[in-house]
Amino acid sequence: MTDLLESTQVRAMYMSDTASVIEIISDHDDDDGEAAEAEFQDEGVEGHFVLVDGDDVLGISGYREIENCDATYYLSWTYLDEDYQGKGLGKKLLADVLDRLRKQDARKIFVKVSDYEEDGKNVYAAALSMYKSFGFEVEVVGQDFYDDGESQTILGLELTPQSEDLSVADEKPVIRFNGLFEIAETDGAYTFAWIVEKSAGFFGKRSFTPEDLELGISSVKEQGGRKIFLTFPSNLVLIHRPLQAVGFKYVGQLKDYYEEGLHELHFSHDLEGIG
Amino acid sequence: MIPIRDDNPQVATPIATYTLIGLNVLAWVLLQGFGNESALNASVCNYGLIPGDLFSDGNGQRVCRASGEWSGLVSSMFMHGSWMHIIGNMWFLWVFGDNIEDSMGTARFFIFYILSGLAAAAAQILSDPSSMIPMVGASGAIGGVMGAYIILYPKVKVHMLIFIMIVRIPAIAMLGYWVGVQVLGGISSIGATGGGTAFWAHVGGFAAGALLVLIFKDEEMLVNHPYYGWNQKADPLDIWQDPKNRQ
Repeated sequence: MTDLLESTQVRAMYMSDTASVIEIISDHDDDDGEAAEAEFQDEGVEGHFVLVDGDDVLGISGYREIENCDATYYLSWTYLDEDYQGKGLGKKLLADVLDRLRKQDARKIFVKVSDYEEDGKNVYAAALSMYKSFGFEVEVVGQDFYDDGESQTILGLELTPQSEDLSVADEKPVIRFNGLFEIAETDGAYTFAWIVEKSAGFFGKRSFTPEDLELGISSVKEQGGRKIFLTFPSNLVLIHRPLQAVGFKYVGQLKDYYEEGLHELHFSHDLEGIG
Repeated sequence: MIPIRDDNPQVATPIATYTLIGLNVLAWVLLQGFGNESALNASVCNYGLIPGDLFSDGNGQRVCRASGEWSGLVSSMFMHGSWMHIIGNMWFLWVFGDNIEDSMGTARFFIFYILSGLAAAAAQILSDPSSMIPMVGASGAIGGVMGAYIILYPKVKVHMLIFIMIVRIPAIAMLGYWVGVQVLGGISSIGATGGGTAFWAHVGGFAAGALLVLIFKDEEMLVNHPYYGWNQKADPLDIWQDPKNRQ
């Protein structure tokens, strides 16, 4: 079987590969298959690569750059045909993708993994251990993110070494919430959309207040939400007191997410059994 | 002894501080003829604050101003008596004004500055309501800036030039120094009967600034400020260290 390791190749994915790629993903997870198909249609397949043996597509992986960040990426759909697992092919594909990122001076890559269980077995356990074998480290675990009992683990890998003690200057922008929505691929997990306003006014408040947050929380409750997840850059010093005052918990941080020294902080609020 | 600079970081461009310095310099150039004697005397009479004039009923005591005595309350703040007077005042405003502006924002700082100057004028008037000596100078308003500075940042180090040495001393120690400078060296009132320091104006401005800053300061702008207050402030992120605030 080692010959497959040599005979297979990694090449850029074409739109014409979409059907076979979706088949591979759907074999693992129908929902992911649908989501991936929609995403390929909307955003194209740039940054995606397939593992092929001749004309046969055996696996898919790739990356998408995160907007408003400095050379930060998310690992995209990474799946291997179920019949070809356990042969080192997934590692070959992922190593290739990470090499490409390093060559283009990518700074950091994150990957999201669910702990979804089917028949008492963690579907993504093998993937998780493969990521760890490449040096990915667990940075944030959002409990009950996808659904009650199904958490989201986000792992990060430094593609270029990041300084440990770099700090970014505090900022105190005027933050206002302007909407809320259910997070994609989750059941009942909501987040707030926020914008930065230009000026605080003469005696205006810069940070959102606990009352602003309460308003959002009760709206999510009305819509039947289970949980609220919020993320903010680590240099916004005014957000913490209001978040803590209404019962948000600190989940963790994605290190160097926006840029070196500027992390993404994750907070959650459990709505069940409250009010 | 001159304060060269402070360790206090400047957060935003201090637009009001620069504007106030610009207005003072403009007044010195356009209205006071760079301190040219006749222009200076005329400007002090026309734009200075003459307490005795405010309450007189035109009994002939007026020195030179034809009208608008009350406008002197504000215009006197932008007039000076000598090169040393304007340079000294503007230097203090340059070094300390930006940090006060950072604690409240541009619009509020502008109003804070004018109110401090008005309080200084009020204190001077109360000390001698019938005085016919014109008072000029930004010292009262800048006294307000100093008062606010010591309330907000008592422990920040100020770099003082002493002869040829630079010594770093806490802002609170500047209090004694500044009062001393004002009493001994400031020439803030000039008139036909001679000049001198408008001592009560400085005390009034200083006290007004120290009190006004309690209303005008914006706590949000001071969150995580490294030198705000007497105690080292906790990092706002520290509240998440408490296990009950963690998921």
